Amino acid sequence: MTTEGIIILIALSAVLFAFVFIVYRLVKALRMGKSEDRFNNFGQRVKSILVYVVGQARVLSQPAGIGHFFIFWGFIFISLGTGEHILNMLIPSFSYEAFFGTGVAVTISFCQDILAFLVLGAIVVSLFRRFFLKPVRLESDDPKAGREAVFILGLIFVLILLMYGIKGIGIIQGKVDGSSAPVSNIAANLLRNNLIRINVVESVFVWVHHSLIFFFLLYIPFSKHIHILGAIPNIFFRNLGLPGTLTSMDFEDETADKFGISVLTDFSWKQLLDLYACTECGRCQAVCPAYLTDKPLSPYRMIHNLRGHFMDEMGSLLSDNDKEYTEKPIVPEVVSKDELWACTTCGACVQECPTFIEHVQKIVDLRRYFVLTEASFPPEVQPVFKNMEINYNPWSFGYADRANWAADLDIPLASDKKSFDILFWIGCAGSFDDRGKVIAKSVVKLLERAGVDFAILGTEEKCCGETARRMGNEYLAQTLIELNIEVLKGYEFNRILTICPHGFNSFRVDYPQAGYSKPVVHHSEFLLELVKAGKLPSGSTGNLKGVYHDACYLGRYNDIISEPRELVSGIDGVDLIELDRHGKRSFCCGAGGGRMWMEETIGEKINETRVNEILEKNVDQIFTACPFCMTMFEDGLKACGNENVKVKDIAELLLEASKESEKGKG
Amino acid sequence: MKIIVLLKRVPDTEAKILINSKGSGINEEGVKFIINTYDEYAIEEGLKLKETVGGDSTVTVVCMGVEESTEIIRTALAMGVDKGIHICDAALEKATPAVIATVLAKAIEDNGFDIIFCGKQGIDYDMAQTQAFLAEKLDIPQVNVIAEFKISEDNKKVFLLRRIEGADEKVEADLPVIISCAKGLNEPRYASLPGIMKAKKKEIKKLTLADLDSSGASEEKKSTIINWLPLPKSGECKIIEGEEPGEKAVELARLLREEAKVL
Repeated sequence: MTTEGIIILIALSAVLFAFVFIVYRLVKALRMGKSEDRFNNFGQRVKSILVYVVGQARVLSQPAGIGHFFIFWGFIFISLGTGEHILNMLIPSFSYEAFFGTGVAVTISFCQDILAFLVLGAIVVSLFRRFFLKPVRLESDDPKAGREAVFILGLIFVLILLMYGIKGIGIIQGKVDGSSAPVSNIAANLLRNNLIRINVVESVFVWVHHSLIFFFLLYIPFSKHIHILGAIPNIFFRNLGLPGTLTSMDFEDETADKFGISVLTDFSWKQLLDLYACTECGRCQAVCPAYLTDKPLSPYRMIHNLRGHFMDEMGSLLSDNDKEYTEKPIVPEVVSKDELWACTTCGACVQECPTFIEHVQKIVDLRRYFVLTEASFPPEVQPVFKNMEINYNPWSFGYADRANWAADLDIPLASDKKSFDILFWIGCAGSFDDRGKVIAKSVVKLLERAGVDFAILGTEEKCCGETARRMGNEYLAQTLIELNIEVLKGYEFNRILTICPHGFNSFRVDYPQAGYSKPVVHHSEFLLELVKAGKLPSGSTGNLKGVYHDACYLGRYNDIISEPRELVSGIDGVDLIELDRHGKRSFCCGAGGGRMWMEETIGEKINETRVNEILEKNVDQIFTACPFCMTMFEDGLKACGNENVKVKDIAELLLEASKESEKGKG
Repeated sequence: MKIIVLLKRVPDTEAKILINSKGSGINEEGVKFIINTYDEYAIEEGLKLKETVGGDSTVTVVCMGVEESTEIIRTALAMGVDKGIHICDAALEKATPAVIATVLAKAIEDNGFDIIFCGKQGIDYDMAQTQAFLAEKLDIPQVNVIAEFKISEDNKKVFLLRRIEGADEKVEADLPVIISCAKGLNEPRYASLPGIMKAKKKEIKKLTLADLDSSGASEEKKSTIINWLPLPKSGECKIIEGEEPGEKAVELARLLREEAKVL
């Protein structure tokens, strides 16, 4: 072996040893987390790798992701080249050509050459974004975060220039075939007449290049580029269930003195792995309703700070002697209480994350600790919980008054009918809120007109528990869910119909966890079904320009996007226009995650922000399919001093339109 | 320090109260029962005092009421109260404040006490008498509807503030003392889940009149409730429609004369 070979062997062994040790510690630290089963459905997981790692599907969902696509693939091909070069130094007879044939070698060399050039371009664009465009995504209050990103981009840039230098010299020396490396050829032409002592320059390039690579390898785990290690397993172990799913808690153990998450070791290993996976791309932050209205919460910052905390504590977590882990409380040391309660659980962050980090579950877990273990939460929440406990609704209405809205309507009760096709679940808003009641009544009229065989539970219905669950009160939520299941099991019916996306989502994800699975349909789907079947007229209105606002728990969480639009645009006279943020990328109204019942004292109001966005479109009406969105917008419109624009639920609109068209006929 | 908190089970504030057909009580169907709202402030103040005094202080809730009162006692235990005493006896079904106070006094004396907190009144019958009778029975001072509570360094004296019309009144009293509480004194805590779990195992001592040697107590009544009567139906409101005030006035005059017959 040459001297060069010996040096590289020693350096490589040392670096690899250190790298493996670091990775070993990272993995061992994950094992400090609680267990969580993420090994089911292997095929689906492999598919995730193909789509989201190899194909970079989520990365590419935004234009800036194209840059990452090139950097990712460039990194792989450049690494292949580096690998070949190092192996060749160790075993002079080694080359891809010798082992895999000319075809493979030329392909690798060609791809490497082109991709590396595209990487250079991507780096220039990235730096331009960072320094001149400054998108919301890249805002950070940690100056280290930005410096680190620029440092790594610079490092990759230098590495690629060196690679071209090395390849160029290889072409000059005739060691490399220039025909398959067009960019290196240009480098060769530039270097050919400007270099004396070409061999010295080459070995300088090689040693600087390889030293930087070794440095990079050891730097990765301590920087945001840890995502190179964390992202792929995180995508593999991603949540394959419905996006609105939360983990269920077990209250069987009556000796437990702690519930929810307060310290690092309470997280599951997968939740800790999330921290390694963050690329700090900031896509979550750029869509977060809390962050965009100047609240202290940014999903990016939360993950960034949690990782910083995890890294700081890693030494003590892994030590088995006196330097023991001190169980520093995450809230308020790493995440503030204001951050914790600012989340609307809209799920936009989780949807945007290219590495499938689950922000909402963490926030709910941290809330669970405070609500369940500490009984500590914003003061205005206490009456809400108490009302839910005593009267099964978040407002202070007696539970016996739950069916008062239906008193004069002669609506069939489940307790009388026993067996029917559709169980119309009214929900708390439909039962008690004045505007909600109008929605419920509108749907009843439409159901009657279409001749649907339905019934309501009346006073047997209780709060579905969705909001308590997302506020962290899992105990209360499970109590409500169990009470409801007991009632529901007493009747025979085919589907549950809801007018509230929150109840809808709860029946889809929360109730099955408690052992009750029943098909559930939202009124936007069901009414469209009736119209399509010819059981209801689409109707007509006078000329009306309107927008449809997607509720988070309908569009983003449950993919019901086209149905309400089809229903509304089928009405004669309605001119339906789209907001910039719509469908899966809709912007929260501000009511989710229990925010409906909390004061919004920091920053801009989320509902007013959304209302202003809508008003820019000069519409006559806002169409909603969620009673809580409706409340938020009506309040927002009042606050903005706009009394001309009306908020209508799609059921109200359909009912009015069908009346209007009948009048026309008469 | 032995801290006692009195507890009463009352219909929920949101419940629709209807008098039963016999006029002997309310129709309990569809009515949820809760801890008397003012008693929650008493529980909170008791728990805060225990935290202040520390040592081997205990908070004991004493509740006289039907079998189902166990539920509200458990709620108090979940909030952090140490022990419950539940006096339940069929003979006490119609007990009036004087009787209740006699029975409570016996139970409290048997248990031992340094300070008693209670709500300023029950939100059901609004009599606000029990604490006064109880103070007499136990021969201790009482201070009602306090806004601030402080205890002396040596735990022998309390300094209280009462908000009265146009002024604040400062009151000092020696222990033992009975203090009634109301909204504004504190923010009652929400029971934590570990609290709820622990409450399941805490002791609720069940007592009958015989256990208290108070079999004759029910005879001590100072008053008797004879009957409950429903309120007369309130008249319906009529809104007079019309374009001009003059036009509405004419209609008003007509209605007052012809329908209300007051003119």
